[in-house]
Amino acid sequence: MRKTVTDTTLDTAMTQARSKTLPWKRIGLFAAGMLALLIIPILIGNQFVSHIFVTIFIFAGLSTAWNIVGGYAGQLSLGHAIFYGIGAYAGIILMNLGISPWLGMFVGAAVSMVVAVAISYPCFRLRGPFFSLATIAFLEVFRVLALHFRELTGGATGLMIPLKFGWEWMVFRDRTPGLLIAFGMLMVALGVAWWIRSHRLGFYLVATRERESAAQAAGVSTVKVRLIAVAASAALTAMIGTFHAMYLTFIDPSSVFSLTTSIQIAMFALIGGIGTIFGPLVGALFLVPLSELARGWLGAQALGLHGFVYGIVLVLVVLFMPNGIVGLTGRFFNGKNDEKKAQAAPIAAAARASRPPIGNDILVVDHLDKHFGGLHVTRDVSLTLKEGEILGLIGPNGAGKTTVFNMISGFLKPSSGTVKVRAADGSMMMPVTPGDFAAIGVGRTFQIVQPFAAMTVEENIMVGAFHRHSDVREAREVARETAHRMGLGHYLDAEARGLTIGGLKRLEVARVMAMKPRILLLDEVMAGINQADVRRAIDLMLSIRDTGVSIIAIEHVMQAVMSLSDRVIVLSSGQIIAEGKTQDVVRDKQVIEAYLGKDFVHAEA
Amino acid sequence: MKLPNLLKMTAAAIVLSASAAHADVKFGALYPFSGQLALLGEESARGLEIAVDEINAAGGIQGEKVVLVKGDAVDNNQAIGEARRLISLEKVSAIFGTYSSARSIAASQVAELSGIPYFELGAVADEVTSRGLKYMFRTNPYAKDMGEMVVDMVVEKVAPGLGKQPSDLKIGIIYEDSSYGTSVSKHQADFAKEKGLNIVLSSGYPAATVDMSSLVLQLKQAGADVVLQTSYQNDSVLFLQQANEAGYKPAAVIGGGGGYSMQPTADAVGHDVIENVLDVDFTQFLVNTKATPGLEAFVEAYKKKYGIAPRSGHSLNNYVGAKALMESIGKAEGFEPDAIVEAVKAIDIADGQTAAGYGIKFGENGQNERAAMMGMQWQGGKLVAVYPDAAAVSKLNVAK
Amino acid sequence: METFLQVLVSGLMLGALFAIVSVGLTLIFGIVKVVNFAHGEFLMLGMYLVYLFTTKLGIHPLLTSVIVAPLLFVAGVATQRFIIQPLMSARDDHIQIFATVGLSTALINLALLLFGADIANTPASGLRTPITIGPVRVLLGQLVILAVSIMLVIGLQAFLKRTQTGRAIRAVAQNRAAAQLMGINVNRIYMLTFGIGAACVGLAASMVAPLYPTSPNIGTYFVLTAFVVVVLGGLGSLTGAFAGAMIIGLIDSFAGFYIGSDVREVVVFGMFLLILILKPSGLFSNRLSLSHVSP
Repeated sequence: MRKTVTDTTLDTAMTQARSKTLPWKRIGLFAAGMLALLIIPILIGNQFVSHIFVTIFIFAGLSTAWNIVGGYAGQLSLGHAIFYGIGAYAGIILMNLGISPWLGMFVGAAVSMVVAVAISYPCFRLRGPFFSLATIAFLEVFRVLALHFRELTGGATGLMIPLKFGWEWMVFRDRTPGLLIAFGMLMVALGVAWWIRSHRLGFYLVATRERESAAQAAGVSTVKVRLIAVAASAALTAMIGTFHAMYLTFIDPSSVFSLTTSIQIAMFALIGGIGTIFGPLVGALFLVPLSELARGWLGAQALGLHGFVYGIVLVLVVLFMPNGIVGLTGRFFNGKNDEKKAQAAPIAAAARASRPPIGNDILVVDHLDKHFGGLHVTRDVSLTLKEGEILGLIGPNGAGKTTVFNMISGFLKPSSGTVKVRAADGSMMMPVTPGDFAAIGVGRTFQIVQPFAAMTVEENIMVGAFHRHSDVREAREVARETAHRMGLGHYLDAEARGLTIGGLKRLEVARVMAMKPRILLLDEVMAGINQADVRRAIDLMLSIRDTGVSIIAIEHVMQAVMSLSDRVIVLSSGQIIAEGKTQDVVRDKQVIEAYLGKDFVHAEA
Repeated sequence: MKLPNLLKMTAAAIVLSASAAHADVKFGALYPFSGQLALLGEESARGLEIAVDEINAAGGIQGEKVVLVKGDAVDNNQAIGEARRLISLEKVSAIFGTYSSARSIAASQVAELSGIPYFELGAVADEVTSRGLKYMFRTNPYAKDMGEMVVDMVVEKVAPGLGKQPSDLKIGIIYEDSSYGTSVSKHQADFAKEKGLNIVLSSGYPAATVDMSSLVLQLKQAGADVVLQTSYQNDSVLFLQQANEAGYKPAAVIGGGGGYSMQPTADAVGHDVIENVLDVDFTQFLVNTKATPGLEAFVEAYKKKYGIAPRSGHSLNNYVGAKALMESIGKAEGFEPDAIVEAVKAIDIADGQTAAGYGIKFGENGQNERAAMMGMQWQGGKLVAVYPDAAAVSKLNVAK
Repeated sequence: METFLQVLVSGLMLGALFAIVSVGLTLIFGIVKVVNFAHGEFLMLGMYLVYLFTTKLGIHPLLTSVIVAPLLFVAGVATQRFIIQPLMSARDDHIQIFATVGLSTALINLALLLFGADIANTPASGLRTPITIGPVRVLLGQLVILAVSIMLVIGLQAFLKRTQTGRAIRAVAQNRAAAQLMGINVNRIYMLTFGIGAACVGLAASMVAPLYPTSPNIGTYFVLTAFVVVVLGGLGSLTGAFAGAMIIGLIDSFAGFYIGSDVREVVVFGMFLLILILKPSGLFSNRLSLSHVSP
């Protein structure tokens, strides 16, 4: 629990400071801050101040909920007013039927979750701005539908609540209860956001945002985690929507299903610090009073002046604080952090146990063909990996080695042929998706490194460790231990984007090792590691093998190939041209020809 | 860092408002002063300001000077916030407003909860007064009055002018699909059915549109003789232009306020195109002033204060309502909410006694039962009163 | 049948209107890859400029494009240089969207400040003259829009294919990093593209202003439709955008006539979502454009 919330090194000063103080002190500080937020308006005892704080709580809550999708999962939804609106309508429609909004709130949340999953599932395929545009389109559709189905929604004239008072109806003459409920909602949203961010789900979400394929390789079901996030976010948004409707006592389609509201919700998170736990709250604390004051000062001056200034301020804030207020304070407190280029330490010397005997087939590949249109990338590739064995996969550039890897880890569907993997219980399975492969114990690295750039080294490795350990503390232990073995021990808190290419290669291996795979697919991991380390890396691989892991390694560093591999397969132009003991294969004429060209063979002869 | 600042400012505001609260009586002026509704929001507020000027010039209310405190109701949440600020921070004795129905509905709920009288001078949705609120009063005519007068004009003027039975006319109703257009068109349809008119098409459309040609074609196809449109400015212009260009010439077009009452609309469409187009709205300025005593004085006061002629009848109607209400409060004892309510309920002004023409007497639900719209027609590039006959300055033309 | 033809022609004319407004956005969205929410406000700005030049100086609206397009070119270049470019390196590419939202808010309110909320009316100068062809009627101005939008698409296409600069723009669109390695000044290309995109909007404004009342909010009426058109056409494809605009125009017109004006937005956005989800690369994606979905 030392550092539960760090998203980036530019994350909150609070977080950074908190990681250095004792937990109870942190919690105390946080509790005091939040309590002050609640007590100030109660003490001032003025309706207008209460209203400002209720507005802050509501928008901070909405923005915190949005941040689970927009920040953690990186899906910039500009349609969140859909869920807000569903919550608002559910609350008011049911109240008019005599059902308490406390119940209506959950009805709205449930409907929102269903809607959220239904509209997000097809939209997650869309990247970046296209996702945003799709959410806007959905929002427009909802608004027009709300206008159209008058029997249910009251149409354009909107819906009102009967003025029934008391806790049961969430409507009060007194201002304190409303303040308490809004505050409670914010706390719930913050609690959920904190829980997600500090547990496996949060790591998975950020990993998916940063690099979807690497997350899949680490066994993350990327669609599932995002759907969970969107459902949680929608439910929270709807619940706050219900309360806000009760607070407003009146809603209509154009004010609830509003693009402006959607943008505003996202804006608070952005200004505060997107993807951080407290960013949205900070953003709302800053912007709500600011816009109130601006309206007060400029609103009466001239038509449009206040909006003009607001727009300009927005552009300036985005330009000069692109990481939000929280990012700004973070940079202020740890200016050096993101500058330094981490240079990895030597890989730890591995202690070798005795080697277990080579066992049965664990991975059987039969007649794999892959062609893109008329272009055959691999042709009739068959190979077998035995338990505890290291199989070298070599061949010239463009031979199709990585394509084979992609097919035996689920990232590419073969045109024909099968891949069978022996599961832990001994049965042979035919996994299909990257998730299936990861679940059955196949771990892989990527030739072109795929770090989760905004996460620290430790968090990167933890994503792998979560595959076996759902508990954060355990995963962190495993990640640290793995990091030390890979010589990354000093850089646990460094952001992955700051590592050198050698460091990133190690990180790639560390992440997959933390998954404790039964079959390890290594794609050119020695490239970019210095000579001295190659020997250590080889020892490390051997020590992994000695724990019973089976390995296929694509490698160009011949030293590594020679000393690691029990057998070697040579791929050229998508076909296996040689296979056998390492020593024999490297003398094979065909192999030399494939690598070095015909002239070389003749010269030898 | 921000919180203490906010605190300081709030504290300062409280101190200020406390010190200013002497001797004067404060009323809130809650209108959308910024945002999309700002133009007519401000125009409405000017009517209220002129009424206050006149009241103060005449010695104030119960001997105390009236001070207006402005609140900017740019959206619903803001309307609530500003209502709360006016009530709790500024300690106003009543709130006047609001032009926009949605803002009025939201803000008046707050006033009702605080037991502060809320006087609506310009919003037209039914729901403003249909909620059974104790402290809510509306002086202006509303959607129902508008729908009723539109249909009356069709029955009494348009049909005879065309030499047809009202039931032989084919009526097309089109409206922008927000609260305004929807509520007015609903009443139009209800009254039309009551009078046995034949509605051949009824369709909403978004006001933020760039094309109405398919709607024009639908009307043309349905053979509508009379088109009733309730619209803002952009869509009024689009419809009139596109109908003209499509060669669609219904016997009568009757606008429901909004864009139809504004001079720039006529200038944009072209005076020849808009000639003889009818309009039902709040009382505007080219009327028979015998029916609207005080209108000329109001226009003079307006010109003197703001340097231009009134931009629409909103200011006039706000002025009429506010002035009658304040005069009645002057007869009360003190500014306690219940005293104000009692005084206001006693108002009894006959038709033809105000600058807007209609009288004032509140019904059970707080709606002014004597409020009425006025029928107007674009003639020679000017919007002139043509209906009812008492207020008419010109004859209602029906082109056969 | 006559009505059907008229609905069809109205749809095509509406399509031409969407096309002329969207061409600039296609360039900006397709090449700079920025969701420019202020696109509609560029149009609004252009329309007010046209209004000023026609009413104050008495220039024919179509001729104002000679001044308005260059002015908007400058505005576009400035936007790219001072707002978008500094954000290109931001960690979160979402952030550009918010910068353009801010710009859009500022511009709408600036117009409100300068011109008021009332509509500004550009003289039609003959462009509103109805022309009757058989059973259908169109406006002269609409035919001008159609003709100019076709010429604009052809002209830009030729520019992108034939000229050195055009090829550089395409290279940047395809692979920014590779283009940079080839010695192309990517930032300059982006500025140029944004400028050309904005200039196209300026050209559009000179034809749209005489036909539609100008108000501070006019841009917001167009911007979502313009995005729909661009996405339908396939990212960065000019002919695709043109075809997309025609399709949206027709859908809008037919849905308005046969289903009803109150739900035609649902039909348009519904179609948009359907196509986005089923064929995310757009209906007419060319090989130039990059896919915008995850593999």
